[in-house]
Amino acid sequence: MRQRRGFSMEQRKARWGWIFVTPSLLFFFVFSFYPIFNSFYLSFFRKNLLSLKPPTFIGLDNYKYLMRSSLFWQSVKNTAVFTVGAFLPLLVLSLILAAFIMTRPRFRKGFQMLLYSPAALSSVVAALIWLLIFDPRGIANQALNALMNTSGVNYHWLSSPGMLRLSTIIVYVWKYVGYFTVIFVAGIGAIPGSLHEAALIDGADRWTDFWHITFPLLKPTTLLVSVMAMIQCLKTFSTQYLFVTSGAMSQPIEVITLNIYNTAIKDYSIGRASAMSVLLFLVMLTFTWVQLRLSRTEEVSYM
Amino acid sequence: MKRMKRLNLADIAILACLVGVCIVVLIPLAFMFTSSTMPAIDILKLPYPWFSDHFHWQNFWNGIKGPEGTFIFLRNILNSLIVALAVTCSTVVLSALTGYGLAKFEFKGRTVVFMLIMATMMIPFEAIMIPLYMVVTRMGLQDSYAGLIVPFLTSAFGIFLMRQFLMTFPNEVLDAARIDGASEPRIFASIVLPNAKPAIATLAVLTFRSQWDSLLWPLLVIQSEEMKTIPLYITKFMAETHSDEGIMMAIAVMASIPMFIMFLTMSEYFINREGLHSSTKG
Repeated sequence: MRQRRGFSMEQRKARWGWIFVTPSLLFFFVFSFYPIFNSFYLSFFRKNLLSLKPPTFIGLDNYKYLMRSSLFWQSVKNTAVFTVGAFLPLLVLSLILAAFIMTRPRFRKGFQMLLYSPAALSSVVAALIWLLIFDPRGIANQALNALMNTSGVNYHWLSSPGMLRLSTIIVYVWKYVGYFTVIFVAGIGAIPGSLHEAALIDGADRWTDFWHITFPLLKPTTLLVSVMAMIQCLKTFSTQYLFVTSGAMSQPIEVITLNIYNTAIKDYSIGRASAMSVLLFLVMLTFTWVQLRLSRTEEVSYM
Repeated sequence: MKRMKRLNLADIAILACLVGVCIVVLIPLAFMFTSSTMPAIDILKLPYPWFSDHFHWQNFWNGIKGPEGTFIFLRNILNSLIVALAVTCSTVVLSALTGYGLAKFEFKGRTVVFMLIMATMMIPFEAIMIPLYMVVTRMGLQDSYAGLIVPFLTSAFGIFLMRQFLMTFPNEVLDAARIDGASEPRIFASIVLPNAKPAIATLAVLTFRSQWDSLLWPLLVIQSEEMKTIPLYITKFMAETHSDEGIMMAIAVMASIPMFIMFLTMSEYFINREGLHSSTKG
């Protein structure tokens, strides 16, 4: 019989390598791969969450149903409005703030911490605070009245469809602007100082330096932030859920994740919820794929 | 002594802008703290009384006690702590173990394993929550700590982070320990883990925060009041129409304390982790 000693160092190491990765690998098979395949599988079946009957195969009927469902398209539109509405200000604001912060090295950390602090709150707490701020008697109306030089006007933050959408976007931008600013600060910080010095010696002012040195070199970071922010916005759930739970109308802010949740938990239609999950997954996969493609061609090297 | 650099107009404008934005960002936080110490009547007074003359500490006591006097808030905050800590410990250990295995051991199929794990990062939780819920129900884990913890035992991002971090770890140190006769688990526990502190701290902070914040998953698996986590407790409170605003904000403050402590003591791991993130990508 062969002794354990007979194994070479390489073989032993290979065995330990497998031992170290196996627990996580098994985990992902049960809690990632199996569920995503199951999502695809169930999207072709009719299945009630509460019934014990086995699912009935109905082909593409769930997808056909969704294509005709106005509620589905409404939630797609809500998600799109929210994503574009939150993503653009997030991107622009965080880039500007990061560029500003970089001009003040002494306060860099302080400003980053202050701007980041809302991200330390949980989204439930954030929604709770803003619901009171957006109350008809709350400080949002007071601030807007002071700003617009009106008095006592109610701007219906939570009761007109457009304002309600804007409100959820404000909460989101407020919570995450610091998070993305920090990423941009890291990106700008990674640009070698020698490049800026060279530009300044050539007589560039700070604006030219930013526009022609920092901004182009920041492309990979901008791309990373764009896709991260977009994917995050597509997945938004908590703010909308809490706004609806506390009495805001659901129609303008029922985003796709909220629709999936309601379809599965309130209507018990697992098949339809799965079909929506699959569509959401495919959209996000496309975004990620585009990001990977772009980042490969846009990689900046400072060698 | 250093001479003060003269600020020009552009500098002043930039500084004013930054300070202005910071103030706007901090107003909601200030609102949370000030209103948590006010009676409900004052909170929705016009105009908002930023500085109230008396400290209405009863909000905190009533928040802890709850409307029925059951102190369920304490149980719920304990649940949140248990789940967040359990998930954080397990994610750190399993991610470090797998990341170490991928970074420092050569075996057939290593690339495939790495690619498979990276592929799971593209699967959004929202797209698999329904089948995941069915898996957990079939395991009989609904409405339990295990149901909250088990689907998050490890993380692909964590494995990626640990792998990138450990790739630069010197092989000589590991081989020296092997020659000294240390077993592989021993090397991992007493050499690799202690030396991976920055990456571990980053991962721990991130994991704890996302668990403390988690709403969607507990919403699916938890039914009983006793098993609710803090986000669910707050949600229930918000859904009740006659909740006292002062008490609500006191609860919000208390629910944020662990995050604030973490943020203030470990801010460098919040701020630097994006640096770590972007330096480890690619």
